[in-house]
Amino acid sequence: MLNFDWLAGISQESAKLIFLVMFVLIGVLILFIPNDYIFQGVEKKNRRWWNNLKLWAIAVLSLLFLTYYVF
Amino acid sequence: MLSGIDYFIVIAYIVGIMLLGFYFRRYIATSEDYFLGGRSLPFWAIGMSIVVSDIGAMDFVGVSGQAYRYGISVGNFDWIGSVPAMLLAAFIFIPYFWRGGMYTIPEYLGRRYNRHVRTIASLTWIIFFAVDLGVLFWASAVLLNVLMGWPVWLSIMLTASVVGLYTYFGGITAVVMTDVVQLIIMFVGGLTLTFLGFHAVGGWEGMVDKISTMGPEYKSHFDLIQPSDTKTPFPWTGILFGLTFVMANAYMIGNQTIVQRCLTAKNEWHAKASMIFASGLKMLVPILVLFPGLMAIILHPGLEDGDQALPMMIKSILPPGLVGLMFSAFFAGLMSSVDSLLNSTATLFTKDIYEPFIKKGATDKHYLKVGKMTTLVLLVIGVATSPISGKYPGIYVAIQTFLSYFQGPLFAILLLGIFWKRTTQWGGLSGLIIGIGFATVLNTFKSAFFTIEDPFLYVSWWSFVVGFIITIAVSLFTSPHPEKRLEGLVFRATGKKNRTS
Repeated sequence: MLNFDWLAGISQESAKLIFLVMFVLIGVLILFIPNDYIFQGVEKKNRRWWNNLKLWAIAVLSLLFLTYYVF
Repeated sequence: MLSGIDYFIVIAYIVGIMLLGFYFRRYIATSEDYFLGGRSLPFWAIGMSIVVSDIGAMDFVGVSGQAYRYGISVGNFDWIGSVPAMLLAAFIFIPYFWRGGMYTIPEYLGRRYNRHVRTIASLTWIIFFAVDLGVLFWASAVLLNVLMGWPVWLSIMLTASVVGLYTYFGGITAVVMTDVVQLIIMFVGGLTLTFLGFHAVGGWEGMVDKISTMGPEYKSHFDLIQPSDTKTPFPWTGILFGLTFVMANAYMIGNQTIVQRCLTAKNEWHAKASMIFASGLKMLVPILVLFPGLMAIILHPGLEDGDQALPMMIKSILPPGLVGLMFSAFFAGLMSSVDSLLNSTATLFTKDIYEPFIKKGATDKHYLKVGKMTTLVLLVIGVATSPISGKYPGIYVAIQTFLSYFQGPLFAILLLGIFWKRTTQWGGLSGLIIGIGFATVLNTFKSAFFTIEDPFLYVSWWSFVVGFIITIAVSLFTSPHPEKRLEGLVFRATGKKNRTS
């Protein structure tokens, strides 16, 4: 039980899929965060697309997804 | 191993860092300046500082060695073991800590639960950091002795003097701004080694082809996901449950040395951005510390000790001048770890122990002085206790294992504290104490519970689960906190923010 023997039947490929689905899920959750919350601290008139931290997070997650997809 | 030009580069780096750090003393007038940089720092500096504080001199050698033995699966620690946790920290936890004007994570726990939880968490971190300081000094100095032939005490005294000087006078601003330079040195040194290494092994494809044909023991060297019954310490179950769900989050959300940097941000956007920027840089770290270990499999096969991989690569690949740069990167790793420990421990002691228990209501100047004196005292303790590590070789591993004792329960109460309004002070206190007790039992009798040799990932997960369940159970049987007390402390709880930009 403590050694996760009950998950021994899951293949490496399936485990990889679990990791990839998790990255996609995190990305989707990030997209749901309200923009006002994301831009908190930046004046409304200065809000530009490059200040949008959702895009930053999605870019990093994409790199992570790609790394786990390839390896 | 070092030529004249290499010595010149290392010495120029050390003197340069000392002068740069010392320069920032002019910005210190209050305790907020000293501990939080006057809440004025930009995201890029904080982000770089977060990453460099996380890479010590030991990590360069250790991670390369593990890559040599186990392949790229060790990269899980910088990839899945960092990025999702950093995003969770950036979007959920950091904004609440920053808005609340917190100095320390235990301070949040104190406001959310009670002062017992705050004191236990703070004391645990203080003891860990103080012991770790001496161990870090010794282990890194021994490493530098092996690599550069520098006497152990010279490395310790040199590091202590330089880091002590700028941390004492310049506080966290000096720590963060010197970290920026240290990160650049590390990346330039590490990337140069990787680039020249790739050239020597015939590029990425050449490296993969050669390693794959070296025998069955290398067949999974390019698999990030290892089966659950792997002989390596990185089964995917441990990586997912222990590392990704618990240890990474506990480290990025509950570790004072990491989070304190985000609290120095000039506004909430910079606080969030610093962590996301750091997560992007983290994606690149394995290129510096992991790839040289893989290349060494081809260039230096059959090494008995995998930790020799990086030194051998430096010796065989880098020309004079660049060797000095690489050793400056080692020093950068050591200095950035030491300055983080010093400043964060001083903050924890001053804000969580001295202010509430020893001298309440003193002037700000007094607390500034206490912070500076604590930095100095810690430095002396770290240097004085460092030889103890030489007498007990297992102490470095023991200290790292100690982290898994309390990271799980600490993250459990942080998570429930911010997401579940019903969590009560007695739930949090019980979850923390029983969770730590459970982790201690698992670690003490690990051979009875676990089949793998080093089950720290599993210990983290199960102590988290126990801490989580106990916190919920006790909370349900105790009186809930009034809504007003939870304002600004629980995700989406109503109430005005304490700070807005």
